[in-house]
Amino acid sequence: MARVITITSGKGGVGKTTTTANLGTALAMRGARVAVMDADIGLRNLDVVMGLENRIVYDLVDVVEGRARLRQALIKDKRLPELCLLPAAQTRDKDAVSPDQMVYLTNQLRTEFDFVLIDSPAGIEGGFRNAIVGADEVIIVTTPEVSAVRDADRIVGLVEAAEKGTPSLIVNRIKPRLVNRGEMLSVEDVIELLAINLLGIVPDDEAIVTSTNRGEAAVYDQHSLAGRAFLNIARRLNGEEVPFLPLQDQPGVLERFFGIFGRRRT
Amino acid sequence: MGFLGNLFGGGRRDRSASVAKQRLMMVLVDDRYKLTPDMLEQMKIEMAEVLSRYLPHVDSDQIEVTLLRGEANDHLKAEIPLKRGRDE
Ligand SMILES: Nc1ncnc2c1ncn2[C@@H]1O[C@H](COP(=O)(O)OP(=O)(O)OP(=O)(O)O)[C@@H](O)[C@H]1O
Ligand SMILES: [Mg+2]
Repeated sequence: MARVITITSGKGGVGKTTTTANLGTALAMRGARVAVMDADIGLRNLDVVMGLENRIVYDLVDVVEGRARLRQALIKDKRLPELCLLPAAQTRDKDAVSPDQMVYLTNQLRTEFDFVLIDSPAGIEGGFRNAIVGADEVIIVTTPEVSAVRDADRIVGLVEAAEKGTPSLIVNRIKPRLVNRGEMLSVEDVIELLAINLLGIVPDDEAIVTSTNRGEAAVYDQHSLAGRAFLNIARRLNGEEVPFLPLQDQPGVLERFFGIFGRRRT
Repeated sequence: MGFLGNLFGGGRRDRSASVAKQRLMMVLVDDRYKLTPDMLEQMKIEMAEVLSRYLPHVDSDQIEVTLLRGEANDHLKAEIPLKRGRDE
C-alpha cells in the first residue's frame, strides 16, 4: 500500500511542481514504484517539467468521468519504468473533480504503487482541498520570503484542521550568500516562525532552470546542488537519517556546505 | 525567542532578514490570534491595572509580553518587573 503525500504551499510559484517531479524521480531511482499526480486542474504543468507532455492521451478528469481506465491514463516515465504520471486536465476547471472522486482515485493508485505524490495547486480553495483530501501526509514548500511564509502558516492551520497531521516543511530557493549577509530569512528563522518539522532545504540553483528547459529532473544532474538536496529529501522520506545542512546563522557555514559539492557560483 | 518584546524594545540589527522575521511574527500572531500590536499594548495596560491592585507600582511600559511558538501549542509569556516599593 502506497504512502500518499501531497506537496502544497499556499503561495504560488514557490516550487511545488519542481519538488514533486524531483522527489518522484528520486524515489523511483531508488527503486520505489511511484505515481505522481498533477492535481492542478486547468493549469497542467507537471507533464512539461517531467518532459512527458507529448505522451498524454487521457487525463485525471477522463478517469474520474469514466472515459478512460486509470491504467490508460497513467504515463510511464521515459527512463524509469516504475515512475508514472497521472496528468491533470488542461481544458477543465478545478471544480471538475469532487473530493470524493479524489479519494477514490488516490485509493486506486495506492494498491499499485509505493508512493503517490500529489502536486497541489496554489491557494486555499477547492483545488487545494481536493489535493489534500486523499493524502496521508502533507509537505509544505515555501521560499524564505515574507509572503510565502505567511501563506505557509495559513496552510499549516488548514492541513491540521483537515486532520492530516502536522505537515513537514521544505524551504526552497535558499540563497546562502544572502542569508549570510542577513538579507534573507534563514532556514532557522522559517522553522522558528512556522514551528513545523523540517524535511529539507533546497538551494536556489540555475540547474533547475536548465533541467526544466529539457524536461529532465535535476536529480539526474550530478552537479546540481538542488538535485542533491532533492535526493536527500527522498532518502529522508524512505526513513533514512540524512544530516541537515548546518542551520546556525554563521557566516559561511551554509555556503561552505554547498561548496563541498558543487562549483562555486558568483 | 521573545520577538514581541524585541519589537517593542527595539531590534539589535536592522538587516532586512531580521526586519522580515519580526514583521512576519507580528503578522502571524495577528493571523492566528487576531491580536494586533495595538491590542497587545492595551492588554499590557490592563494587566498593569489588575496587578497594581495587589502589587505596588507595576508599570505597563515595563511589562514584556512574548509569544513562544511550539509545535503543539503556542505560549504567551508575560514578564512583569516589580519595583521595590519600600524605597519609594
Ligand atoms: N530551487 C530552485 N532554484 C531555482 N529555480 C527554482 C527552484 N525551484 C523552483 N524554481 C523555479 O521557480 C519557478 C516556479 O516553480 P514551480 O513551477 O515548481 O512552482 P509551483 O509552486 O509549482 O508554481 P504554481 O503555484 O504556479 O503551481 C519555476 O520557473 C522553477 O523553475
Ligand atoms: Mg505547480
